[in-house]
Order: sequence, then C-alpha cells, then structure tokens
Amino acid sequence: MNIRERSLPTLDWNFIGTAIVIAAIGVVLIYSATWFTDPNLTVVKRQMIWVAVGIALLIAFLIVDYRILFDIAPILYGIGLLLLVYLLVWGQVTANVRSWIHIGAFQFQPSEFMKIFTALMLARYFESNDRAYLNFRSFITAMAIIGAPVGLIIIQPDFGTAASFFPLIAVAMFFGGIRPRVWAAMILAALISIPAGYFFFLKPYQRERIVIFLNPERDPLGSGYQVTQAKIAIGSGGIHGKGFKQGTQARLDFIPEHHTDFIFSVLGEEWGFIGVVIVLGLYLFLIIQALTFAKHARDRGGTFLVICLISFVIFHVIINVAMQIGVLPTTGIPLPLISYGGSSTLMFFIAVGLIANVDMRRFVNA
Amino acid sequence: MRVYRDDQKFLQFRINALIWGMAAVFVFLAGSFWFVQGVQAEKYRGLAEANSLRELKVPAKRGLIMDRNGKILADNQPAYSLVVDRVVMRPIVKRDPNHRQKLVSFLSGVLGLPPQEIEARFEKGKAIPSAKPLPLAEDLTMPQVAAIQAEAILFPELNVTPVQRRNYGYGTMAAHVMGFIGEVNDKDLAQYPDLEQGDLIGKRGVELMYDNYLRGKDGAEYWEYDSHGRRLEEYEPARKTAVAGDNVYLTIDFELQRRAEQYFIENEMVGAAVVIDPRNGEVLAMASSPAYNPNVYSKRFTPEVYKTILSNPFKLEINRAIQGLYSPGSVFKNVMALAGLMDGQITHSTTFSCGGSGTFFGRRFRCWKREGHGSVDIERSLKVSCDIFYYSTGAKLGVDKINEYSRKLTFGEISKIDLDGEKAGLVPSTKWRAENPVRGDTKWYPSETISVSIGQGPLLVTPLQVANMMAAIANGGKVLRPHVVRVIEKIGPDGKAKRLRVATETLHEVKLAPPALNAVRRGLWRVVNEVGGTGRNAQVEGLGISGKTGTVQVIRQVGWVKSSSLPFKHKDHAWFAAYGPADPGQTPSMVVVVFVEHGGGGGSDAAPLAKLLFESRFRDKVMSARLNLDNPETLEQIREGDLPLPTPTR
Repeated sequence: MNIRERSLPTLDWNFIGTAIVIAAIGVVLIYSATWFTDPNLTVVKRQMIWVAVGIALLIAFLIVDYRILFDIAPILYGIGLLLLVYLLVWGQVTANVRSWIHIGAFQFQPSEFMKIFTALMLARYFESNDRAYLNFRSFITAMAIIGAPVGLIIIQPDFGTAASFFPLIAVAMFFGGIRPRVWAAMILAALISIPAGYFFFLKPYQRERIVIFLNPERDPLGSGYQVTQAKIAIGSGGIHGKGFKQGTQARLDFIPEHHTDFIFSVLGEEWGFIGVVIVLGLYLFLIIQALTFAKHARDRGGTFLVICLISFVIFHVIINVAMQIGVLPTTGIPLPLISYGGSSTLMFFIAVGLIANVDMRRFVNA
Repeated sequence: MRVYRDDQKFLQFRINALIWGMAAVFVFLAGSFWFVQGVQAEKYRGLAEANSLRELKVPAKRGLIMDRNGKILADNQPAYSLVVDRVVMRPIVKRDPNHRQKLVSFLSGVLGLPPQEIEARFEKGKAIPSAKPLPLAEDLTMPQVAAIQAEAILFPELNVTPVQRRNYGYGTMAAHVMGFIGEVNDKDLAQYPDLEQGDLIGKRGVELMYDNYLRGKDGAEYWEYDSHGRRLEEYEPARKTAVAGDNVYLTIDFELQRRAEQYFIENEMVGAAVVIDPRNGEVLAMASSPAYNPNVYSKRFTPEVYKTILSNPFKLEINRAIQGLYSPGSVFKNVMALAGLMDGQITHSTTFSCGGSGTFFGRRFRCWKREGHGSVDIERSLKVSCDIFYYSTGAKLGVDKINEYSRKLTFGEISKIDLDGEKAGLVPSTKWRAENPVRGDTKWYPSETISVSIGQGPLLVTPLQVANMMAAIANGGKVLRPHVVRVIEKIGPDGKAKRLRVATETLHEVKLAPPALNAVRRGLWRVVNEVGGTGRNAQVEGLGISGKTGTVQVIRQVGWVKSSSLPFKHKDHAWFAAYGPADPGQTPSMVVVVFVEHGGGGGSDAAPLAKLLFESRFRDKVMSARLNLDNPETLEQIREGDLPLPTPTR
C-alpha cells in the first residue's frame, strides 16, 4: 500500500487537527459540566480514554485503504445487522431501550457503528450507480440498505438513533439525484403523513415533546424544562461568558444531560457568544474541508463515502445546536466529538479517519 | 427513457450547493445565539440568578455545658423560627403589588406584633443577601406554626424552620460563669470568616471563651431552585454534615453553686462568692449577685430588653467575682503577714504592742478596738484582726515592697482565669502615684502606706484575687491559675468521646519557711475556731476551718460607729475568706471567699455562707460528727425525721 512513501504527504493535517481540537474542547466542557457533581472526575477521565481510543481508531481507519473496506462492506454491514438482531432478542433494557451491548464492564451501542457500515454500504452501491437521477429500482435499493438497520433500531425502540440515519436518506436522494416532480410528490406525501404519524405513529411522550417544542412555556418544569433551562444558561453567558468553571447553571442539574446532549449550553454559559462562534466555526471548517475532499475524491465511491459520513456530522451538529436554544425540538442527539459518550465519540473519530483516508488517496495513481 | 450519466460536474454542483447551504445554516445558528446571548442576555442573567442552587444551613448543635459531675446547665431545645424567602417573594410582589401589605398584616395578626415591627424586621434583614432566608420571628407556638402553614398557598415565601434554641435550664444559675450567646456583630464577622450574618456566637463567659469548642461546624444542604422559586431537590453529593460542638464540663459544683446563689437571693444581698480548690485552681463555685437570665439573650433581643438590663442599678452583667473591684479591708492583713514574713521584716515570733492607737510618720492611727489588744504576735494579730500589728509591719515594708509581694499573690494583675473581662485591680506604689498624681501631687506619703497595711486606701481587689491568695496559703505557697472549665469532651464521628482535661498551671511560687507559714495558718485557724476570733460564724462542727474576716468602711467615719445603723449604700462591705479542712495534718481542698456589698460585717454577714458551703461540701464528715449514735437523743431525732442520715460518698 505504501502509505508512508506516497499517501502520507497528501494527508490533510488541518482536517484531523480540527477534529482533535474539537474533541479537546469537548473534554474541557465535560470537565466544566461535571467537576462539581463528580469530584472524582470519573466522567472526564473516561471521556479522555474515549478520545484516545478514538484517535487510535482514526489512525486504523486511515491506514486501511477505503477500497478494501468497500470490498468487505457487505460483511461488516451483515455483522452490524446481526448485532442489532441480537440486541432485540437478548439486549438488556437501559432506559426502556435495548440499544446497548455489554462486554464485561464496557457497553456499546452497535447502532452507532452501524452508521459507518451503512455509509460504507451505501457509498459502495453508488460507486457502481452513476446515473444523474435515481430510477425507481435504484432508489428502492438505496432505501433498503438504509431501511434495514433503521427498522431494527425503531423496534428497539430508539427513535433518536433511528432518526440519525436520516442524513443518509437525504444524501441518497440529493446526491443520488431525484427529479423535481418526485421531490414534489414526496413533499406532498410528507405533508399528509406528518399529521397522520403524529396521531397514529408517535408515542405519547414524543407527541408531548412536539407540543412543548411549539410552546415551551406551557410546562416549564416538564419537558420544556430542559430548553428553558438551557436558554437561561446560554443567555446568561452573554457575549464573553462567565469564564472557565464559573458557570452556575449548566454544572448543576437544572439542565439534565448537561454533559451529554446539552453540553453546548455549558459552552454558551462559560465561554459566551464568542465561544459559541469559535466552536461553530470549527465545525463549519471541518464540514467544508470534508466537502472539498468529496469534490476531489479519486472515485465516485470515495465522494459518496465522504458525503455520507460528513452528513452525519452536519445532521448532529445542526440538530444538537439548534435544540439548545429551542430552534428545533429536544432530541437525544449528541454533539459530535464534544458530548460525553463512548460509542458516539468513537464513531465520529472513525468517520473523520475515513474521510481523511479518502482525501489521502485522492490521486488516481497512488 | 433517457438515462443521464452523471459527470463529475453534476455532483460537484450539488456539493458546492451544500457548502453554501452549510454556511447559511451556520450563520443562521450564530444569529440565533446572538439573539439569546446578545440581545436577551440581561433577561436570562436575571433568570439565572434566581435559578440556582441554594445553600440551606444546617446549624451545628452547640456543645453542652455541664457542671463537674455532668449535670447539664446549658443545652439546646428544638424551636420553630419563621423565615421569609425573598427570592420566592419577589415575583409574587411583581404580579400583585398589594402582596407585601397583605403579608405584613397577616403576620401582624399571627404573631401579635404591630405592622411597623414586621416592616422593621424586613428592613433589618436587608443586610442579609437576598438568596438567604430572612428571619422574621423565633419561638413560634404550635398554633402560630399551624396558622402560617395553613396559608402556605397564599404566602409561599413563608417557611417555618426548626432550629436549636440555647437553653439554660436553671435560669440565672451560674449565669456569669456560663455567659450567653448572641448574634454575631461586624467584629466577630471580621475575626471568623466562616461565620455569617445572623449566626450565633458566645458573647460572654464560657460561651465566649470556649466558643471555638462549643460552636461546632455548621453543615449545609444544597437545594436546587428553579427560576420560579420552586424547590426541586436536594443536591446530595454536596451535602456537608454539621459537626456538633464539643461538650464542656465546668469545674463548678452544682450543689455549691446553688447554695451560694440561694444565700444571696434569700438574704437579698449584693455581692459575690468564689469557691476554689487550692490543689489545682479549679473554681468550684462562682456566684455574682444579682444575676441575669442568659435565656433572655438567646432570644430576639429588642432594645427594650437591653435597656432594662442596662438600667438595673446593680449592673446585672458584671461578674462581681472577677470584675467587682473592692477595697479588701482586713482580708489584706493576710497579704501583709505573708509580705512581712517573706521580706524578713517580721518573723513568726515578732510582737507589737497595741494600745488602741499608734503614731506612724507623725500621724495617729486607731486600732478598730478602742481598748487595744496588748502584746500581739502574728497568730493573735490575725485572730483578733489587730490593726496596730499591721500598721507596724506596713511601716517597716514600705508601699513598694507591699506592691511587690501582693503581685505574687495576683493582686494588681489578672490571674488569667478562663473568663472574659477579669479586672486587675490596683495595688499602689510610688511609681503608680507618679503616674496618677492626686491634685498634681506625684509623691506617695508614707502615712498612706499605713492605710494600705489594713487593706484600705487606693487598694482595689476582686474576690477571685482574694481566693487565689487564700489558696496559696492553703496549699503551701503555690499561686495557681484559676479556671472554670475542667474537661472538654469531643465526640468523634464514631461516637467515641475524647476528653481533654484543663491542666493545672502555677503562676507564682511564694517561698516561705515552714514556721512562718504555719504561724499564718494557725492564726487563721484561730479566727474561726477560738473564742474571741472574728470568724466564729463560719465554725463547722467536725471540720477545721481557717479564715479571715474583713469589714470595709464605705464612707469616712469619725470615731467608732455601728455600721448597721447606716443607710444601705453607706453600710460597710463584708468579706470572709477561708479554707478547709484545716486541722493539723489535713490537706485543704476548698477555699471560700464571700463578699457582700454593704453587708455590714464580715463575721456576721459573709461568714455564714462560707459555713454553709463547707458543710455542703463535707456533708458526710459533718454529719458523722453530729450523729453520735450512742446518744439516745440523736436516735430520737433521726426517728422524728429532724436529722437526715448521712448519704454515702459519691
């Protein structure tokens, strides 16, 4: 493969560096969020381990040529589906959801890794499908690739994670190509199915979330509570923020999940608008770099792999950041590389590794 | 159907569209944050302030104060206080401007206080940070608690909190020793940074001196409140457990203290009594009459109460045993005897002749006994309290020697008792006169020394200093540091008690040859036990007591006048200082000093209390002496119930 001689000089250090800086900021924020309630700093220490393992995985997924991964993608995808089935049958219920696999003291969410495998599978499919617009058959094939894991995850039932596969559908439709009249038909279908889904498909607590999203003041101590509290934390940070460890809102339990889903409110409170702009800037930089890589990829498969993977980042960042101030409803979507959590951190490091992998091997003769 | 093959351009266009789309979305997000953090920052800052973790103090249990045998003199009793939570109140007042008025009139009705008083308490509470509860009333009765809780929906800002109220179970008993507690002032806050406005701290006596032990360490619970003022839940990891204060065992003996105080109360006397153990300096009783009730201080202290205490003509707060400065009178003859012997100006066999008066430095000085005492040696001089003997001794010593030896017996300086406000008193000297001239005259005249020799002139002593001196005579010359605390008991978290004993400390040592010391001791023994002694009223059956009386003229008298015929404020002060058991071969274990302001006579008014206290302490010994079981009359008395049987020793 000759990585050292040919590929490494073409590795984009800025891209990987940005990801690591974001992860470092994440560790600092988790510390801010937990030092008071967790004096032993076990949460921060654990996240540091996750980051270290994540970087190791990043390197691993950088070294192996992504074309080899395309070759074994069906196997990985198959194993992922089997794990999801295993979960449904033998999984332990954590917070009413069977999404964790326990291995010794460790536990991980196979659905996070399934995102990578599904992206690989989808990119592999589009490698050989180079039509400008998807025809019916190829559309169904793409949807089936995404639909299989999503279906299994919905049964768990973990809607948040299932929803996080949505960017793949968007990628398939937008980059796979759909004619304008099909778009129109689908928008119409959506408009009809959303109210139907609301009444027949969603569980009561999910319905409640949407009602409260539309009117958060309605229940300040209930489901609207998180958003109200997050806004107070972020708003009280002002332009300059209260400073490192000076936050009073986020470190306490006013905001549940303040070190996972609502970690961004810690940033807003302690580092103010300036901190928010810097972190958003880092994410935007990371996304634009990745999309630039996509343009310059050696092959169509590489382009699609980068787009699929970065679409996860885009989706997570926008949904998570927007829900902090109530622009979007509250969902259990973590902030990539920043929120505390092993599976999510590892998944995003792998994604970063794979994106850099595609970029590193952009020259056809490599 | 045509099939468009995708060339790179098609895909490139879509990617570029996404890049621009991303940039737009991020700008929109940043704009949204600008709206929250820039435009609305003030609003959220206000909400954040209200929305926080609040510290609720868990007051530490103050240590108990007990007498030497563990009888509890000061403890803590549960009580209910009313506090108002201003963080909760603020938004309600904003919604309903009449709310505050409603609240004040409601409280005025429940507490039975005028509305102005309630407003005044609100005003006073402004010094407390608004996140902390503002105390409005203490010691609520159960009906008051019920009335307040019944209106909890209307007035959610009112909270009834259980507190520990300092309680002195025996009221005025040993009040001056125990002292009292009160709210911290600015000086206390500067000294102890961990204290807060409204905290209680020892202000006087043992409560003050041993405050560091008694106070303990307050704990805290952290409760989350949201911006609506609602208490959510306790944040348990941050909880700090309160550490109870250490218990203090006084050296005070409850029984002796009670008897001493009762004597003053029953006889309506003003004065002080000090009982100390001459072996170790422990204060067994210290009474000062009249006394205050320390319970008054641990309640809300109104200016009226304070005025009442201050306006009492007898100065209730003064601990006369250590702060009362009095002329020692004849009690000072003991000091003169010791000084003369130590300096070698007299020996145990020196005699002076008393003819009722004598001339010293060109002036005639009278003995209290017009007929005179004849030839007097040191023993007899003490027994009959002959003035001429001490005039002569004083003339030989001079005032500066008197000063020097008095200081060794703690006169003119503080004896460092573990109580606040001890007074040093005054023993004159030529140096003192130079610094404190009389009408511009800085010279000390030798004739003034003659007055000092019998305990008059500018001399000022406290009853405690007299007790220190008597203890030195009783224990053979050791001047010990007196103390009122015997043991400090620390209860560890495991419930195990660790006891720290207060050590005996020697301040000075008085070197005296045994014959000289014995002469003084025998003289004092004869005061009480021989016919013609001035302290016969202190004689206790079956127990040898040695002592010295003192009677101090309050106004200058011409000739020999009977004090009892004078109005109260001109009556003589009465002293009696004694120790026992004092029979040969016995080790004295108790010194008693009684001082009665305007009492009349030392022998008649002060000595009976000493007798009482000795009898109480050595009850069994006294009883066995009185109970002659071979005497059928005694048996009859026991049967009739007139004589109690001796109780076994504790």
